[in-house]
Amino acid sequence: MGAIRRLGAGLRRDWISAMVVIALIVGWEIAGHMAPRSPLRESPIVPPWEFIFGRALTGLSDYWKIEMWAPVPQLGGAQTLLGAVLALVFHSALTLFRLTVGLVLGGLAGVLLGLALSWSSRVRKLVAPSLHLARMCPLLAMIPLFQFWFGATNWAAIVFVAYGVGVIYLIGTVNAVANVPARYIENARVLGASRLRIHRSIILPAILPELFSSVFLTLGLAWSAVIGAEYIGVESGIGRMVIWSEYFSNTGRMALITLVILAYAMASFALCRKLQERVLAWTPKRPGA
Amino acid sequence: MISITNASCVFRHASGREVRALDRISSTIGDGEFVCLLGRSGHGKSTLLRSLAGLNTLTAGEIAVDGRPVKGPGIDRGMVFQEDTVFPWMTVQANVEFGLLAQGIPAAERQGVAREWLDKVGLGRFGDSWPKELSGGMRKRVAIATAFAGGAPILLMDEPFGPLDYVTRRDLQNLLIDLWRSTGRTIIFVTHDIEEALVLAERALVLRAGRIVDDIRVDLTRPRDEEERASPRGIAISKTILGHLELEQHTPGAA
Repeated sequence: MGAIRRLGAGLRRDWISAMVVIALIVGWEIAGHMAPRSPLRESPIVPPWEFIFGRALTGLSDYWKIEMWAPVPQLGGAQTLLGAVLALVFHSALTLFRLTVGLVLGGLAGVLLGLALSWSSRVRKLVAPSLHLARMCPLLAMIPLFQFWFGATNWAAIVFVAYGVGVIYLIGTVNAVANVPARYIENARVLGASRLRIHRSIILPAILPELFSSVFLTLGLAWSAVIGAEYIGVESGIGRMVIWSEYFSNTGRMALITLVILAYAMASFALCRKLQERVLAWTPKRPGA
Repeated sequence: MISITNASCVFRHASGREVRALDRISSTIGDGEFVCLLGRSGHGKSTLLRSLAGLNTLTAGEIAVDGRPVKGPGIDRGMVFQEDTVFPWMTVQANVEFGLLAQGIPAAERQGVAREWLDKVGLGRFGDSWPKELSGGMRKRVAIATAFAGGAPILLMDEPFGPLDYVTRRDLQNLLIDLWRSTGRTIIFVTHDIEEALVLAERALVLRAGRIVDDIRVDLTRPRDEEERASPRGIAISKTILGHLELEQHTPGAA
């Protein structure tokens, strides 16, 4: 609710962007009614809003497959709004779980490995070229390989997300460590700090501001990776719902699920920005921040 | 006691040119002395101080503290840098505690010692502040408190008051003198400012081209206010130092 209220405040503050959003919504609706009529009732070329939040929303109950709380359309049950919400919550929860665990594992592994590599400059110079190679690897092209290794399971999606973000964190960490001002490290050495202590109390906090740019970068990447993994292989999750919609050309459902993913992505960005404010309370105000 | 024996340090520039930053320097500094290292920039003051701290390796010669050769930084030597080295991600209190933390001293004792030093530098109420909330002069006080709290009997200061305004500088000089007198620690203070040396030092080592060209007793009475510095002895010391630094061509034979 707070996010919505803040969104409202933001829109009032910045009426140009508000106008753009309204124009997009209205334009979409007009396009929905102008577009040639599709021969299939469930597949309007451009689904208008009343269709998206009407038939398409109820239709999502097709993806509720547990004989509890709501009828299961697959077994001849009726399409219900409750079923639709349950299906959405169930598959969202799976996707969010994969995303969160993948992000945390990948982030931890990337940062720790990055710190380990930065332990000596010789090691860093040795691995730098292969790091560059890892970053250039097209992530989505590797999904089938990951599924071959880990099966079409939760783990496959998690490991895939973790790998995707881990590489970014690793490179981000190595770069950030190289940018820590020497004076802080010298001061810590003079004060008698061991190498481990310097890594823990000086280098780790000093790289945090720079690391947060990796956080925002990987958040977008993680969303693509997890949806991609579900889209191509894993048999559940919100990405899979898009595939199911595609089987019968349910354009309304595709648009609706895309909107839901957009909402999640925006919420996760807002959450990370909050986290950044808290963790980086010590940083001097940057101009424009 | 610090003994410096034939300390030399040669840097090789990217161009391949060799620079002799320290050229066979020898001297001894007794416990509890306040020594200023004076000289123009690029004449070896900072290199000598960093060598004393163990942050710079000599290419020849040796520096020993109480008979033990300096191999690297050690908790017997603290340092206050010219740059702002207060860790911005730690509160003021945590900054002052850091040296004690690194030495493995238990939390309760750390807190007590840090609070005591914050009081002594006049920042008793700022323990919970972030460094960004403090002025440059206050952050310098934090750096001084941190160096003293670490417990090192020898404190090395590399133009610590350089970037500060005149009045703040005078305040901090007075603070430093008070702390030096009440603790009896050895302070080696790099400066290019003759007035600062006259205010602070018991002894001034003048460096030129990597060599110690003079070792002057600054035997003025304290407080070293304007009158005292303008006394015949004060002016004589100033003139001698100036002669070594830059006015040599105009005062031949001063060395």
